[in-house]
Amino acid sequence: MDVLDLARTQFAVTGSLHFLFVVLTLGLAPLIAITHTRYAVTGRPVHERATRFWGQIYVINYALGILTGLVMEFQFGLNWSGLSHYAGDVFGAPLAIETLGAFFLESTFLGLWIFGWHRLPKWLHLACIWAVTLTAYASALWIMAANSFLQNPAGAVERDGHLVLTDFGALLTNPTLTMALPHVLGAGLWTGGFVVLGASAYQLFRRTPERELFTSSLRTGVITSFVGSLITVGFGYAQFGAISGVQPDKFDGGVLPGLGLGFMIMIGQLLQFVIMFALTPAVYWLPRWRWAHPLLMAMTPLPFIAAILGWLARESGRQPWLINGRLTVADAMSPGLTSGMVTVSLIAFGGVLGLLALVDYLLIARTVRRGPAAATLGAGAPADPNERAHALSY
Amino acid sequence: MDILWLGVFALLLIGYFALEGFDIGAGMLLPVLGRTQRDRDEIVTAMAPFVLAGEVWLVAVAGVLFGAFPAIEGEVLFGLYPLVVLLLVSWTLRDAGLWFRRRADGSAWRTTWDWAICAGSCGLALSWGMALVALAGGLSGPAIGLLEPAGALVMAALFALHGWTFLSWRLPGRVTGARRTGWALLGSACAAAAPVSVLLAVLAPWLLDHMAPAGTLSVLSVMILPFAPIMVGAQVWVWRMFGPGRAADRIPSFF
Ligand code: HEM
Repeated sequence: MDVLDLARTQFAVTGSLHFLFVVLTLGLAPLIAITHTRYAVTGRPVHERATRFWGQIYVINYALGILTGLVMEFQFGLNWSGLSHYAGDVFGAPLAIETLGAFFLESTFLGLWIFGWHRLPKWLHLACIWAVTLTAYASALWIMAANSFLQNPAGAVERDGHLVLTDFGALLTNPTLTMALPHVLGAGLWTGGFVVLGASAYQLFRRTPERELFTSSLRTGVITSFVGSLITVGFGYAQFGAISGVQPDKFDGGVLPGLGLGFMIMIGQLLQFVIMFALTPAVYWLPRWRWAHPLLMAMTPLPFIAAILGWLARESGRQPWLINGRLTVADAMSPGLTSGMVTVSLIAFGGVLGLLALVDYLLIARTVRRGPAAATLGAGAPADPNERAHALSY
Repeated sequence: MDILWLGVFALLLIGYFALEGFDIGAGMLLPVLGRTQRDRDEIVTAMAPFVLAGEVWLVAVAGVLFGAFPAIEGEVLFGLYPLVVLLLVSWTLRDAGLWFRRRADGSAWRTTWDWAICAGSCGLALSWGMALVALAGGLSGPAIGLLEPAGALVMAALFALHGWTFLSWRLPGRVTGARRTGWALLGSACAAAAPVSVLLAVLAPWLLDHMAPAGTLSVLSVMILPFAPIMVGAQVWVWRMFGPGRAADRIPSFF
């Protein structure tokens, strides 16, 4: 592999890892906010246990979302400095807005939510998780706006050898954004719904003591993935209109774009039939159909796979351009970048993040297996009177 | 407008050193001050609620660098390539240690991640020290010269001091055996942020020369400044919520 291939591999590896965690974050955040709201309104302990259990899964997943995201953010400057040189005046704006207007708030409010159990007033604590959800969606908007600019550089003209922003609104009405953003958000709901569905099926199959909680969450999972699948598939097909306008031969060229697209659509269509004609009509009985639970568990990874295939199609279909029709990937590579530099950083990032991603998934699986009773997020104070002597405890 | 965004950039970078510096310092000192598992738990519990709100300042720094200084974003990050890689890997390790240490039982698990926190924090301090020296030298010299190791040690010492002061303020008379006031903490924050502040002052003309055009900056202003009160408010809220005034409550930590 030459240095360009290495740098592209690094981006593909870290980007795919990042999205695996992000797609679940986007889907779970609203579900947890809604569950927390039910707890706040009704005060019923079962809703509290549900919020803490799903919340713990959410935050364990979130950890890797941050870590992979950090590497993504700095990677532009490390390997692709040609991008900021040529188009930074335009491309940098949505990224800056994302970090300050969305992620800064998301992270701060998430910290308040995690550590604010039993400390923050009830309604303010609830407001924190809604703020986290809102800012997560705002993040998705700005990142997708930046990515859509690469697919179709709207709102900018070239002056003196680099791009200048002429119409900020055009970044947001970019046809490659308006159809793709709902597609991605739908994919998030679908993924979140399937994780809730699969985890609930596992607990019910194991004859959980938390029957009420998982019966209800299994149904939530079905409905969420039903809604998610409608949005995903609807806007998925709608994307073709936009693409044929600005990237007409996107899926004709290489193998990867066509293959990714084909398999994503296959998974999507198949699952949608299952959801629409089997799961949703049976939603009332499904929690009691023990024989069906292993199937539900086995389906859990499929939306993740479809989502990664979707990104492979979208990004590899853009080649050889980094900014469609304006800047090639080869020209965007940092001048002076050597194979050695990229190899070392690829091993460092890929190795460390890959390993941590694996550990993270094992920890999520462990959380699912041990059930709500073992959730440490928002656990109450221990009863041991000896420990009470300490100002702070753990 | 140029001055405004230079100010935002400087504020965020200084804020990072002041607000995340003590987490880095406390992480470095974890095996020194936390001889027993119980002490280490106490240290991590004390810093935990501040970490997410602190590290995010650096994410914002990188975002503003890209949005408001696109002409030098690549130059700076590429010029510091090995240091940025070290910084990111260290940051990742430190955070993974915090998120994971309580997620499974057994002392070997927690001890392993406590070491990850310490190693990651040390890596952060050292890469920052070297990066500041390299930036002061104008990115022209050899990637690792003679001054860099010295800068690394100074930065590590400043972060350690800041972390020690934080723990003496948050856990008075406990793991450090000392008590410090909020004013002392402010002092150590200034010390931790001093090198980067000097550097920013020196580099200000260069930064001003490389600002994004006015059109881009106005967009950033319109889109971001309305959120500034919420951002400040949320940060203040974190400090009010988790400061020593609330030390008496007894809530298990998540980290
Ligand atoms: C039947 C269904 C589907 C259709 C017709 C469809 C269509 C598309 C198209 C045309 C693209 C490429 C956009 C571009 O290159 O600019 C795309 C990308 C993508 N797809 Fe799908 N898709 C379907 C199912 C799914 C499913 C089930 C998921 C995940 C749960 C998914 C996740 C994604 C993602 C994450 C992207 C990349 C971002 C984007 O372009 O929106 N898709 N999809």
